[in-house]
Amino acid sequence: MSRLVRIELLKLRTTRLTFGLLAIGTALCALDAVLRDARAGNGRLPPLDTAAGLSNGLTVTGFAMLMAWVLGVTMASGEFRHQTATLTYLQAPARSRVLRAKMIASGIVGLAFGAGGAAATTAVSMIFVAARADPISVGSGTIVRYAVGAIVGAALLAALGAALGSVIRGQLGAVIGVLVWALFVESIVGGLFNSIGPFLPFTAATTLAGARLGGGGFGYSGSSTASPLPFLAAGLLVAAMAVAIGAVAAQTTIRRDVT
Amino acid sequence: MSTIEVRGLTKRFGTVTAVDGLDFEVDSGSVVGFLGPNGAGKTTTLRVLLGLVAPTAGTATINGHPYASLPDPVRLVGAALEASACHPGRSARNHLRIHALAGGAGPRDINRALDAVGLSDVADRRVGGFSLGMRQRLGLATALLHDPEILILDEPANGLDPEGVRWLRRTLRGLAGEGRTVLVSSHILAEVAQTVDRVIILDRGRLVTQSSLAELAARGRRTVRVRTPESRRLLDALGAREYIDARGVGDWVHVSGATAEEVGLLAARHAIPIFEATTDGADLEDAFLALTNGASGQPIRRGGADQSPEEACR
Repeated sequence: MSRLVRIELLKLRTTRLTFGLLAIGTALCALDAVLRDARAGNGRLPPLDTAAGLSNGLTVTGFAMLMAWVLGVTMASGEFRHQTATLTYLQAPARSRVLRAKMIASGIVGLAFGAGGAAATTAVSMIFVAARADPISVGSGTIVRYAVGAIVGAALLAALGAALGSVIRGQLGAVIGVLVWALFVESIVGGLFNSIGPFLPFTAATTLAGARLGGGGFGYSGSSTASPLPFLAAGLLVAAMAVAIGAVAAQTTIRRDVT
Repeated sequence: MSTIEVRGLTKRFGTVTAVDGLDFEVDSGSVVGFLGPNGAGKTTTLRVLLGLVAPTAGTATINGHPYASLPDPVRLVGAALEASACHPGRSARNHLRIHALAGGAGPRDINRALDAVGLSDVADRRVGGFSLGMRQRLGLATALLHDPEILILDEPANGLDPEGVRWLRRTLRGLAGEGRTVLVSSHILAEVAQTVDRVIILDRGRLVTQSSLAELAARGRRTVRVRTPESRRLLDALGAREYIDARGVGDWVHVSGATAEEVGLLAARHAIPIFEATTDGADLEDAFLALTNGASGQPIRRGGADQSPEEACR
């Protein structure tokens, strides 16, 4: 298995898409943090010298997680788009093992996406705090927990993406589907049904990084009466979704003929 | 000993039967042409053999095992199935690095494979900018990377220019000389005729023949060319024999289905003077086309005195 994971990691390292998505995710997190920190204390958002205000900027790592999700989807569905599945399955005829290796490898690379997003939002927020000579109103332990949450969330979404990309072989459709789901469907469903919101995969992943339901990260907008899932529960939920979709792929799509 | 064995192989895609009860074997150390027109089922058979397509019925084994059950398949079997199966954003070297990792090959093996196919100078260029011929070469480099005993190549000449085809022939001859088992598919016999020991010919998913090139040539119809001032009379005389095809081209009569001696005796019996008689060697390609019902292999109708063999075949 470790050889297959190393192969998948090498595949990810040798295409520019990986680095492009990492750069986009990190840049968007930084931009999102700038927009939130710049408007902090304007009446709608709490000021930066409060824990709530600073956390608003620190926890907007959703774009990094979203790009990690997209990466997972593209790495799996790309095998069929570029017909490289032929060589992949010649190298490793046990296709379920290949799927597991892809999920693990995309999860490992997803860690970097989460770290990039967390580093960007932390750096931006600290620059704003320093510029305004505000006190750092969030403890270092909490900042580390946010970063760890972003890293874990991005890794889990990347693995979920690899499983999804194995089920939905059409790469463009799969990527658009993930973007629409994260940007619109979860917002609508979470807004309409507050109790369901915390259990939606992207929302659950962003709450791992400290984002508030309906406020931080990239979840649904508006106020929510529900509470985010505890860290462990949110992590296990997204992991369980990845495993479940991977199991579906293992029983269906990846068994198909490679013609 | 057979390295590759296909027994009762059938593959259906919905209502379409791509391969129909196919049986053949490839002996160890032999170089075999896997021939047939487009749509004959060659690629499907090779993909079943390599575990990429599940058979509807029958078996396809390598060294007695399905591909998926081989202990170290990439080191035993090198396969080049489709030229486009490379990520366009990856360099040729990185493409090979990934395959190298699968079988434990190192940078030296990668350089050797790139050298073997003449891609060393463009190894660090992205595959997206490669021509079809360069991609074919990269596919062959991938197949050769682990120095495998068995090579399975699907239409490797597709997209190659004439120099590329010559290079491929040289390469296949080299591989044959090294004692490897090679199964190479093509829809053009001439591409592989100079290299292979045997041919397996498919048509519409079924085995047409499995034979040596010499046996295939023996099946080809030899043509006796006779020069006579009385070609019409000779044609009439030959026309009485159902198994003989004959047509006239000026003073020449071209006869298939009879030997020069038979034609000479027939001419003597009818007191027809013969100035010259030669026998052409059997054409492998004609034999191949005839076996696969190719356009040129359709049964030739008796032609008139003004119809050339080429015209009769059109």
